[in-house]
Amino acid sequence: MDNLQELLHGFTIAVTVPHLVLMAIGVLLGILVGVLPGLGAPNGVSLLLPLTFGMQPVSAIILLSSMYWGALFGGSVTSILFNIPGEPSSVATTFDGYPMARDGRPTTALATAFGSAAFGALVGVILITFLASWVAQVALAFGPPEYFAVYFLAFASFVGMGGAAPIKTVVALAIGFAIAAIGIDTVSGSVRLTMGIDELVKGVNFVVAVMGLFGIGELLVAVEEEFHARAVSSKIDWGEVFRAVARLPRHGVALLRSAAIGCWMGITPGGPTAASFMSYGIARRFSRRGRYFGTGEVEGIISPETADHAAGTSALLPMLSLGIPGSATAAVMMGGLMIWGLNPGPMLFVDQKDFVWGLIASMYVGNIVAVALVLLTVPVFAALMRIPFVVIAPLIVIICVVGAYSVSNSYLDVVMMLGFGIVGYLFKKLFYPLAPLVLAIVIGDKAEDAFRQSMLMSKGSLGIFFANGLVTSLVIAGIALLLLPLALQLTRPWRKPAPPTAETTSQEKVII
Amino acid sequence: MISRRALELATAILTGSFGVAVVVSSLDNGIGWSSAGVDAGTFPFLTGLVIVVGSLYNLVRGVLPAATLASVPIAITPTELRRLAGLFVPAAIFVAAIPLLGMYLASALYVFAVLAIPRHQSVPRALAMAAATALALYVVFERMFQVTLPHGALAAALGF
Repeated sequence: MDNLQELLHGFTIAVTVPHLVLMAIGVLLGILVGVLPGLGAPNGVSLLLPLTFGMQPVSAIILLSSMYWGALFGGSVTSILFNIPGEPSSVATTFDGYPMARDGRPTTALATAFGSAAFGALVGVILITFLASWVAQVALAFGPPEYFAVYFLAFASFVGMGGAAPIKTVVALAIGFAIAAIGIDTVSGSVRLTMGIDELVKGVNFVVAVMGLFGIGELLVAVEEEFHARAVSSKIDWGEVFRAVARLPRHGVALLRSAAIGCWMGITPGGPTAASFMSYGIARRFSRRGRYFGTGEVEGIISPETADHAAGTSALLPMLSLGIPGSATAAVMMGGLMIWGLNPGPMLFVDQKDFVWGLIASMYVGNIVAVALVLLTVPVFAALMRIPFVVIAPLIVIICVVGAYSVSNSYLDVVMMLGFGIVGYLFKKLFYPLAPLVLAIVIGDKAEDAFRQSMLMSKGSLGIFFANGLVTSLVIAGIALLLLPLALQLTRPWRKPAPPTAETTSQEKVII
Repeated sequence: MISRRALELATAILTGSFGVAVVVSSLDNGIGWSSAGVDAGTFPFLTGLVIVVGSLYNLVRGVLPAATLASVPIAITPTELRRLAGLFVPAAIFVAAIPLLGMYLASALYVFAVLAIPRHQSVPRALAMAAATALALYVVFERMFQVTLPHGALAAALGF
């Protein structure tokens, strides 16, 4: 109850006219950086930081966190409309969002994504409000073995899915791991797999790979078939925005499950990316319409989006309560906290009550402001789909090129991006799954580091993964998720001796 | 015309050679267990092996006439190949031109060429779109977010 009173006090700080205006500005700027590839929340927040030096800390953090919300929402826009995920965490949104938009329902796809994202964020904030102190303890219990177990769980829930040719999945996954290993090895400090190219020391950035694999790759697949060369004729339909949001409660189970996964992955520092992939994988396995996933299913949009935002929101908690930034954006914000004269950490909740609860209250209000603004922009973004393909194609190429370049001001990245485009096209054409590849690129090196650190701690014994209840249950859940579909696949030939070819090909089409 | 089999073979060879490169390169980092724990090269080495073995399997599967392959013998028809080239070749030229012309000039020329040469748009409209693209890039990246895009050797030679 104490918390509730503090929260009400927080609302009196957050809901004032100047703060609401700051929120609107922050959200709009955030949407802009989120939509533009190559720029992301970290860029936006660090550019705004100098402007906040003269402000009250509470106003400053409201502006910055609103920008963060806006960027989270904006990142989904390009994923859905052009298959170019601006942020790692919105990759999973492309799997069903893009097919739906291409089918002529961009408004539905965008509104569904934003609606479920807002729900996820709300659950995350509620969690922060009531469980702040407990959650901080869970995060502290996490060492390298637990990290590895969480990543293992994310892989297991996603990779074990049937569908794609198993060996092609394994090859795609292994290539992802190898790409993640390129550059400086964080455990030993040695340089790996640069193949004599000095510039590769910095590694292959995820954005570069994804822009090529998804953006350029999809463009090549689309241009090949005349059908896609036409523009999608979508009416600007305000009613559909609200109808799509009103339909969300029908998918209550998916919403709640995804929010739970998101919060769990946000607190345990698995992060929004792992959360959205895991949520998508689990939804695909347990949904009644799971085999239609990848063709524009509503739940295929709801699941990753809800989990992404639930995780993104609850990830702010470790920053506030422990002083551990969960993401690049949180790290920049933490720099801000110190500049404003505040010390992030457990004492913040005691010393700076106004600041902490003002911020938490602003998360509620800021999310409502963000979802309202972003829903208003849906028809504008949906109208982009009406631009003829011949015009949009070169623009997408330019967006990918500029995005790849601006990641680290490197021309090599642009060339690699184009190379990834060819790989993406070949993989798509031959039904190699792209999702395990991308997942491995994003969290492969973190998983490897966690594993090797665990091995150092245990002097080479695998027993460390069964050392306490937390890590044991995580590992066992991961193994179960991994073996379940394998067992199902093994028993299938006995039940159905000769699957007809037509089914195999239709199955193949569903594979991402 | 490119057959599905040829495409499967090419892809398997591509992934396989990447695997070989990973294996060879990771041997430099050392594999196995040392005083510093698991050596840096161990994981890349293992993933490289997995890639090589998996690619060999896909290669064999691609050569053997399997039931699923027989249903789609042709992967890319000549018309499709022409469309692919129509998109990819200008894009590749655009990327190749960036170091010389800079991002702004190259992207403007790229937009103009792609729209005006196949007569998708009239020349004035294509010109306007090309100019708008370059201007939008400049305003958003260079001005608003202070991200410098390459200006190119040509601009440097002219003293910009």
